[in-house]
Amino acid sequence: MNRIHRRSFLQRTGAAAIGATALGLPQILPARVLGASYTQPSAKDRLNIAHIGVGGMGGGHLGYMLARQSRGDVNVVAVCDVDENRLASAVKSTGGKATPYRDYRYVLERKDVDAVVIATPDHWHACQTVHACETGKHVYVEKPACCTIEEGKAMVRAARGNRICVQVGSQGRSQREAFLAHQYIANGMIGKVHTVKCWHYATPSDDNPVPDSEPPAELDWDLWLGPLPWRPYNRRYLHGVFRWLLESGGGQIRDRGAHVMSNALHFMDADRTGPVSVETKGRIPTRGLWDSAIDMEVTYQFKDPDWTLVWAQPGEMVPYFDRDRVKREGIREGYGAVYYGDKDKLVVWVGDGQVYTEKKAVEFQKPAGGVDVPKSPRFDHHEDWFEGIKTGRKTIMNIEGGVATAFLCVLGNLSLIVGRKLAWDPMRQEIVGDEAARRLMSRPQRFPYAL
Amino acid sequence: MKTETTLTAAAAVLTGAASAAAADAAAVNDLIAKIKSADDAVRGPAWQGAGPVGAPAVAPLAEVMSDPHFEIARSAKRAIEKIARHAGRPGANPERKAVEAELIKLLSHSNANVRRHAVWMLSEVGDAAAVGPMAALLADAEVREDARCALTRVPGSQATDALRGAMDGAPEEFKYALAESLRARGETVAGYPSKKLVPVKQTSVKAEA
Repeated sequence: MNRIHRRSFLQRTGAAAIGATALGLPQILPARVLGASYTQPSAKDRLNIAHIGVGGMGGGHLGYMLARQSRGDVNVVAVCDVDENRLASAVKSTGGKATPYRDYRYVLERKDVDAVVIATPDHWHACQTVHACETGKHVYVEKPACCTIEEGKAMVRAARGNRICVQVGSQGRSQREAFLAHQYIANGMIGKVHTVKCWHYATPSDDNPVPDSEPPAELDWDLWLGPLPWRPYNRRYLHGVFRWLLESGGGQIRDRGAHVMSNALHFMDADRTGPVSVETKGRIPTRGLWDSAIDMEVTYQFKDPDWTLVWAQPGEMVPYFDRDRVKREGIREGYGAVYYGDKDKLVVWVGDGQVYTEKKAVEFQKPAGGVDVPKSPRFDHHEDWFEGIKTGRKTIMNIEGGVATAFLCVLGNLSLIVGRKLAWDPMRQEIVGDEAARRLMSRPQRFPYAL
Repeated sequence: MKTETTLTAAAAVLTGAASAAAADAAAVNDLIAKIKSADDAVRGPAWQGAGPVGAPAVAPLAEVMSDPHFEIARSAKRAIEKIARHAGRPGANPERKAVEAELIKLLSHSNANVRRHAVWMLSEVGDAAAVGPMAALLADAEVREDARCALTRVPGSQATDALRGAMDGAPEEFKYALAESLRARGETVAGYPSKKLVPVKQTSVKAEA
């Protein structure tokens, strides 16, 4: 394997960076190189990675990085969590070698940390990403990118302004069959796409609500809440179930919509556009702390080109055609999307770490002169991030794509929250003609956890 | 004859107003009764459909926020959200102003949770008329941080002036928070730099040697 060693890469790109800056090209280098105190590249060749949030998906990312560490690709130098039990477990998984932190800002203070993997509850994604960018760390942040419109804009500004490589964790775009579906659609095999209909099963409801209580000893409740307004602890907030609260998760439309609709924007080459209207109908729980819609249907209307995106819980599930493969690979048919063109249609199942599509797309051979579509190296989302860091090219789920996808999720919920159709200016990225809804484009953060 | 006609018309207006008030009162009473139900099949649709009941229901719902049954209290809180968001729809300014007026009254409620909720709702539907009463909560130790956040969201120079004006008498630590709000609104603030990147929380978990 012709691996580019970090030191030699830095020696080469460090010299090239001056030229790149002069040409206005992206200049992506680790924090240690960008820092004012920089004299020589570190003796180490490998990127130093810190993990912020090590439970749930964070644990998966840590396992992935430890496997890469064992192959000599990276150093996992720090782990961070507001839950001491999770943190202790993470330290143990590193063989006791990674330094533990409760407060992620200690991680950002470290000059030797090149990149961070952020896998915290959604309400932390924007602050931590912006802060990491401002301290020169490259960022892999779990999806959905942001909880509000203003958070998303701040993330884009921070990444661009600090020349940071950001990969958002909608890893569906990197999967092999997503690439094949994309290639099939981009080469006109179903004609002009006019409608994309997503399906997904319902968001759960809190059928056994419990009163507020004291937080468990291992949890720093203040730091878990972070930018959210203060309120007493309730065990229905965490772990994992934060997804079912509008403030910290937003239900299936944000959790899985950030996968399925990410692919839709990608396949439609629409990351830099957005809908002109958003209208949601839904059913919200009658009891309990969780307030995300159980069932919902969101209709997004895009213009120039005109197409319609529909997020439907539950929508119309399409069973995968190969039942043996469903059993063999555990294909989760509970979510996916149908792409309707004026010549044909194409089904894409699942959309996250699993993506499956129809045989006709899998077997399609791109003709000479056909349209090329982005492809992650080895169909590996993290690998795409590393390549982005090293080369300065945009990642497949870059911050603009991540934020555009999150905006769909946010707007879908906002339309339900205010109970009316919203008009959206995709160029200015603003709700128009509705002052009260406009104000919900932001949510001021609790001090000192500001963007 | 003309006088008689005028009086008849005035009486009809008064009767109409009285009928409307009676209808409002009946709707409020019905809503409150359902919100107080222990059965979420009754309570849930009630708070979810509270929006059109509007301003007259705000104060009675605020009282239910103190109900010892936490699900009933939560339902009342959510009903107020529904009312504020319904009133905030385009073209409904009289309804919005009526709800705003009721929310402003709640800013002096004895229950801090009610004050907190009211100030956040005013961040969504309050205008210049709400800024002064909201700013008064910047001196309220229990809810000043919520009031600061809420004012940060309200557009206009009045909110900016209120945040800046509060800098004078605020506790020293809170001045940093006020400065953060002012900077978020594009203002220049001397001193009181952002603490967003200052770590303070230590873990007890140790790395193994």
